[in-house]
Amino acid sequence: MWELIIIQPLTNLLLWIYDTLGHGPHMFGLAIILFTVLIKLITWPLNASQVKGAQAMQELQNDKEWQEIQKKYAKDREKLAQEQMRIYREKGINPFASCLPTLIQFPIIIGLYQSIIRALSVTPLDMLKLARTVYPFQNVENIIPLNSTFLWMDLGRPESVQILGFALPTLAVIVALTTWLQTRLTMPTSSNPNDQTAQMTKMMGIYMPLMLGWFALNFASGISVYFIISNILGIVQYAATGRANWSNLLPGGNKTSPVKKK
Amino acid sequence: MKTKKLTLFFLLILGALIISACSGQPLTNNFPGLVADADRAYISTGSFIYAIDVQTGNQVWSYPEKADGELLYYANPVLTEDGQLLIGSTGTNHAFISLDPATGQEKWAEPFSGAKGAWVASPLVFNNTIYAPNTDGYLYTLDMNGKQVAEPIELGGALWSAPVTDGTYIYINSLDHHLHILNPSTGKLADPIDLGGAAPDSPAVGTEGIYVGSFESNIKHITSNGKNEVIASASDWIWGTPTYDNETLYYADLSGNIFSLDLSNNRQNWNTLKPDGPITASLLVVDDQIYVATEAGSFIALDRDGKIVWEKTPGGKIYTTPVLSNDLILVAPYQAEFALAAYDAAGKQAWTFTPSK
Repeated sequence: MWELIIIQPLTNLLLWIYDTLGHGPHMFGLAIILFTVLIKLITWPLNASQVKGAQAMQELQNDKEWQEIQKKYAKDREKLAQEQMRIYREKGINPFASCLPTLIQFPIIIGLYQSIIRALSVTPLDMLKLARTVYPFQNVENIIPLNSTFLWMDLGRPESVQILGFALPTLAVIVALTTWLQTRLTMPTSSNPNDQTAQMTKMMGIYMPLMLGWFALNFASGISVYFIISNILGIVQYAATGRANWSNLLPGGNKTSPVKKK
Repeated sequence: MKTKKLTLFFLLILGALIISACSGQPLTNNFPGLVADADRAYISTGSFIYAIDVQTGNQVWSYPEKADGELLYYANPVLTEDGQLLIGSTGTNHAFISLDPATGQEKWAEPFSGAKGAWVASPLVFNNTIYAPNTDGYLYTLDMNGKQVAEPIELGGALWSAPVTDGTYIYINSLDHHLHILNPSTGKLADPIDLGGAAPDSPAVGTEGIYVGSFESNIKHITSNGKNEVIASASDWIWGTPTYDNETLYYADLSGNIFSLDLSNNRQNWNTLKPDGPITASLLVVDDQIYVATEAGSFIALDRDGKIVWEKTPGGKIYTTPVLSNDLILVAPYQAEFALAAYDAAGKQAWTFTPSK
């Protein structure tokens, strides 16, 4: 099922873009970039709802009624949950709206990674799997094997640049940096010290760059290209909504800012 | 909120585990390589190379003593006339080694380690020189002691197949869609011949030129005097080396079709046989029988008219070309309970070999 609904469509889409681009050197990297843009465009409404949902949840933390029920039902979790759901309903907030795009990202990331490895076919066994993955209407015999070169990278292998005898993982650093930037810029500000949303976002701001940097360090650099472009587009999308919190990039920038109202 | 936090955290961990499981390091898995002489079979499968007594199916030796995560062996080992067993590693360590077929001990003072890529292809030994194609796109030439005798020759594309020779020229197929022709006496390359698709296995050498199958799904006949023509086709990619036998060419494709081509008139003797799925292994012709191994795991004996004589299912998938040793046909399945099985011409299983753990 995973093969049918994720791997096959993603691999064929990548191959189609690569073929359309002219399948020369660097084209597979460009295909991954175009693929990322396409995914971002498709998930744009979802990302927008994530931004809106996160903002609504953030504002809720500063709502007087919300704070009152937290205190009032602190020892009765069942009642607290019922009251929270009532407020969600009244204010038209979907508490899961900010999670959905993240959930959707995971199969795409995992599927894309498997598709890149499949498309590049570094072993005869991989090549055989690729032969079975390709849709009948695609004439890929002219483009296989794919040229995995992109700039200084081999997209099928982890990236590093040799400087003074040291293998420096530049792409992993860029992945971690852009992930950190995106998280910081989208991090909501809060004056409430007990704001759990802000705490969670702060925690994600630490885990996500480390996790994605680790991926970039250990796995095919094609996935790092996806991460970088996806992060940059995420920042652009957030900035376009006018909600990017540039003050978060400064030391202590998110501690004192007031909550931004719509 | 805590539930949400935990969910996200576990999703990250799950994502990491799934991605880790699906692969990472290249060239870590492939189907086995196989070669045999009259007494022993040699199979390369992952971290080890095994020598097996063909009479009994018992293990004679294995190499190396302990698994090394950087060294992996999947190419067909090559036996040389001066008593060497040659094979390169497909692991992250690109060592090319020589073993003593009798003992499994290393023969060279040190492995050849000058290649940048993995060794998927077997080498060719011709006029006391080892011609070893690598996935880095270079053909390396070594003496019989593993010393490089000339600068590597850049062919282009990943080289997965063993070179072949007609006694004058050396022919090397490449995934770059070309057949490369080397004159070993001068070290000069002829203009590469466009095959129209990648060619993962070797050309077949006939009395009047060579025959090449490729992902273009055609068979090309190429001669040293410049002839280059499509003489037959298939309905899917051709993977395995065509088998040349008495003016007949046997070949198969990834849709599972088997073909018998009469080279005297370039007409198919028969092409209606389609057992059960993709065929990557070359067909083996012994006496009046043709042996076919399929990915679905069938091992089939045909007569020369294309009629099935017997059919066995040893288990696992079969990608590796079967080989003949004495009167036995050896089959090396992938992901089976055993690594090697021996059958006689009547289809009776003589033995199976499972590596000791």
